[in-house]
Amino acid sequence: MKINYKIQDKFDYWIFIPILILLLMGLIAIFSSTYNHPTAAGNFNRQAFWVGTSLWVMFFIFMLPARTFRLLAIPTYIFSILLLLSVLAIGKTVYGARSWLDFGFIGFQPSEFAKIGTILALAYWLTDKRCDINNYRHLFIAISIGAIPMILILLEPDLGTAIVFAVITLLMIFWSGISLFGLFIVITPPITIFASLFGTTSLLAVLIIIIIILFYFKRNLFTNATVLGVNIAAGFIFDILFKFLKPHQQNRILSFIDPSADPLGSGYNALQAKVAIGSGGFFGKGFLGGNQTQLRFIPEQWTDFIYCVIGEEFGFLGSSLVLLLFSIFLLRIMNLSSIAGNEYGNITVIGILTLFFVHFSINIGMNLGVTPVIGIPLPFLSYGGSSLLVNMILVGMILNIYRNRRHHV
Amino acid sequence: MNDSVLGSLVRRRILFILITGVITIFFFQLFRMQILEQTVYEEKSDENSIKGIIDNPPRGIFYDRNFKFLISNKPAYTVEITPSLYNRKHDEVIEKMLGEDAGYISAIFKKNEKYSEHLPRKIKRDAPFSFIAWLEENQDSLNGVLYRVELQRDYPFGINGAHIFGYTKEIDAVQLKKDKGYYESGDYIGFNGIEKTYESVLRGKKGIVYQVVDSKQKLIGPYEEGRKNILPEKGNDLVLSIDGEIQKLAEQLFVGKIGALVALDPKSGDILALVSSPNYDLSDFSSVTSTDLWNVLSQREDKPLFNRATMGFHSPGSTFKMMIALAALEKGVINENTTITCNGGYQFGNRFFKCTHIHGRVNVVKAIEKSCNSFFYPLVPKIGIENLYKYGSEFGFGHKTGIDIGEEASGILPNLAYYNRVYGKGKWTEGFFISLGIGQGELIASPLQLANYTAMIATGGTIKKPHIVKGYFNEKGEYVEIEFPEIRSSISKKNMDLVREGMYKVVNGEGTATWIRDKDIAIAGKTGTVQNPHGEDHALFIAFAPYEDPKIAIAVIIENVGFGSTHAAPIVKEIIKKYLTSNTPQDFAITEESKAADENKL
Repeated sequence: MKINYKIQDKFDYWIFIPILILLLMGLIAIFSSTYNHPTAAGNFNRQAFWVGTSLWVMFFIFMLPARTFRLLAIPTYIFSILLLLSVLAIGKTVYGARSWLDFGFIGFQPSEFAKIGTILALAYWLTDKRCDINNYRHLFIAISIGAIPMILILLEPDLGTAIVFAVITLLMIFWSGISLFGLFIVITPPITIFASLFGTTSLLAVLIIIIIILFYFKRNLFTNATVLGVNIAAGFIFDILFKFLKPHQQNRILSFIDPSADPLGSGYNALQAKVAIGSGGFFGKGFLGGNQTQLRFIPEQWTDFIYCVIGEEFGFLGSSLVLLLFSIFLLRIMNLSSIAGNEYGNITVIGILTLFFVHFSINIGMNLGVTPVIGIPLPFLSYGGSSLLVNMILVGMILNIYRNRRHHV
Repeated sequence: MNDSVLGSLVRRRILFILITGVITIFFFQLFRMQILEQTVYEEKSDENSIKGIIDNPPRGIFYDRNFKFLISNKPAYTVEITPSLYNRKHDEVIEKMLGEDAGYISAIFKKNEKYSEHLPRKIKRDAPFSFIAWLEENQDSLNGVLYRVELQRDYPFGINGAHIFGYTKEIDAVQLKKDKGYYESGDYIGFNGIEKTYESVLRGKKGIVYQVVDSKQKLIGPYEEGRKNILPEKGNDLVLSIDGEIQKLAEQLFVGKIGALVALDPKSGDILALVSSPNYDLSDFSSVTSTDLWNVLSQREDKPLFNRATMGFHSPGSTFKMMIALAALEKGVINENTTITCNGGYQFGNRFFKCTHIHGRVNVVKAIEKSCNSFFYPLVPKIGIENLYKYGSEFGFGHKTGIDIGEEASGILPNLAYYNRVYGKGKWTEGFFISLGIGQGELIASPLQLANYTAMIATGGTIKKPHIVKGYFNEKGEYVEIEFPEIRSSISKKNMDLVREGMYKVVNGEGTATWIRDKDIAIAGKTGTVQNPHGEDHALFIAFAPYEDPKIAIAVIIENVGFGSTHAAPIVKEIIKKYLTSNTPQDFAITEESKAADENKL
């Protein structure tokens, strides 16, 4: 085997450079949004510390032997589930969700860590020799791997992160070569749930379409009945789950369905974010010059609404740059999903890509007012140690897979 | 189940379209928001964070005709508490210091709890100075407690003038709806008197101070260092025709009496003094108009809120005789040589109308001098009620004078239509007119109308519309005098002079008020007594002086005291003397001193 010792061959700048710039922009935006803030003024220093730390962790992951991730997949996953269970039992409640483990000196969100475990475990199962994804039983195992952490997170309750897990699971299953019918089975229940949000009419319409498609697939009666049954159940599960949600989460969903229902409640942030970004104009109002940001019209702006700091203070130029960097990053990861030397690597990359893509689209979509307000952070830019660390570990894994792309483990 | 598996190429294409699609949507949304709709969002962003705070201008103040203060402004202290900065443990002591009940602050907080806690709550208007001093001393421990200085009316000059000036009070919902353009709730507005008539010039123009606030309405600082602020424009200061000294004296003379006085400059129509007694203390209304106070005043039997000077409801009595004489002379019913013999009354049909004395032979001058009823009883039927109405109207009877304090009654001057309306057609006789000759019966005139009528006689037939505001200071600080329309009478000078002579002799001949005769000033006057079936008669006196070149015309009514010359005439004399002997007002000269004082006040 011929090995290229040039550094470009080992280390992928197409991934690393955009991330480095994004991290820097995140730091600038956090500095601006917490400038003179009575309680969050220390956030910049904390984030800077985490950027430094997570870069080292990323390099550490990058240097690990190729096999590591497959070996560690199951232990990591089990450990994640244990953490999620313990957070439900002894976790600290922040903003109405029991999602933090408090170790005194440091807070930690197990749901972030569980992302790694779940992606690795799914990749493990989907590339296992025993697994045929078009076998219902195997498909069910794959779905369960994603569903267990997802349900635990939903219980915290953290709707945003649960959605991320659902999409990751779906996309990884899709990628592992599922048949159209299999995909149909996997994808219809979420669609049914979504349709049920908008009332009985849309729910019935979706169910009728499902029945028509079932006829087209010409499966046996038992299969058809099962699929339809699952979908009908899914149609009602929302109403049941909805009751378990916290009022503010119910409001978020309701204000997405009907934005005018609660303009001062959860609609407020979405509106103020749009005002911040829109008023930024082409060049922006300048560093520390955004009145929406500096006068704190958006609460906790350094977390989920960090993008509108950039939009307001650095304008169209700054916000387009973020989009550009993310598109380089995401498309590059997509390309890597076929260079990796083994299926395990490929499907892991797809899982990670999905994670970043879901975070990116939901977060920026909500900042721009095109998706509902679902509180998940923007990777690399939002303030938050756990999430940054996990994201950098995942980047480290991609870089590692790139480094070891010629190894056929 | 390997049918229709999505190949890896197809999967990759789907993923690529998904990623690029989302980014493209975001890019176009960014473009739309930041490039196409930028101005819309910018406006919203400014609306968010820039808050205009109304800067109330000082209200225009009042000068008298000699540019001396009548009413000015004084600072009043409004106490405010910002809940976010304030420690509730101070409630008790603050309530005590303000003289409020326990729970007073809690109640205000409760009422405003839906507002951001960074917004100050108004705790007390017109707080006592002792509280402000205490607050200043303890400011360090009393975080969040502040006071603001607001201007309110000040009446320190010993002049009450309640019925002239009127007062301001917090605007009510009805008024607020009507004047939405300018006022906001909590604003003060002229409620009556001059304050009301001239509200639109007195109030000035509100300014706006632009402040930057954060999302919780917390004040961050001035917007663009105040460059965009709109400065308030002070209201116009008014110069009243009132003579402060005369007004003060007149008010003193009315202490303990019920009645009214109007004195004016006959040539210019300037009202020099206007008193309605009893009155009330305007300073009670300057800060908070307590409903209790108002109720007490409005229910008092002597009606202090009622303006007797302009809303008078009495007959003119014998003071009307000059009007009868003028109409009779003008219509040729009598001339200067016409005489009658007064033997104590006048027989009309089967009714005998009494005179006060047996005056013997009297002509028109003598009849006025002696107030001989017998001379005047037969005149009205001869003049004709319509003719009396015509001449009476020229003198302002039965019509509002148009004085610039809103409340005014037109009184009664009857004509044919009036009798037809009141008694029915054909149900009245000329006998009804007899008592009109001596100013009784279907006649009502306010002291203002009587003063106006006196002025008309004094000047020989040319006066100006009576008024209280004679000028104002414009935006440049220049004094602008207001022009008033002239009112002329068609009565000939010769006839006027006859009547004037009669009035002169009332005081200076053998008339009914000779005892107020003054060796320096020639006063011409006429007594009157209004019959009061409910008690003592009301005393009336009208006069002008000096006789040759009248500078003051005056009408006084004192209720329930009896004969006119004894009770009303001395007051008139004192006013006249004071006005004519005090330094003649400089025509128009604002001294540097008064200007400086003006600026200091504001």
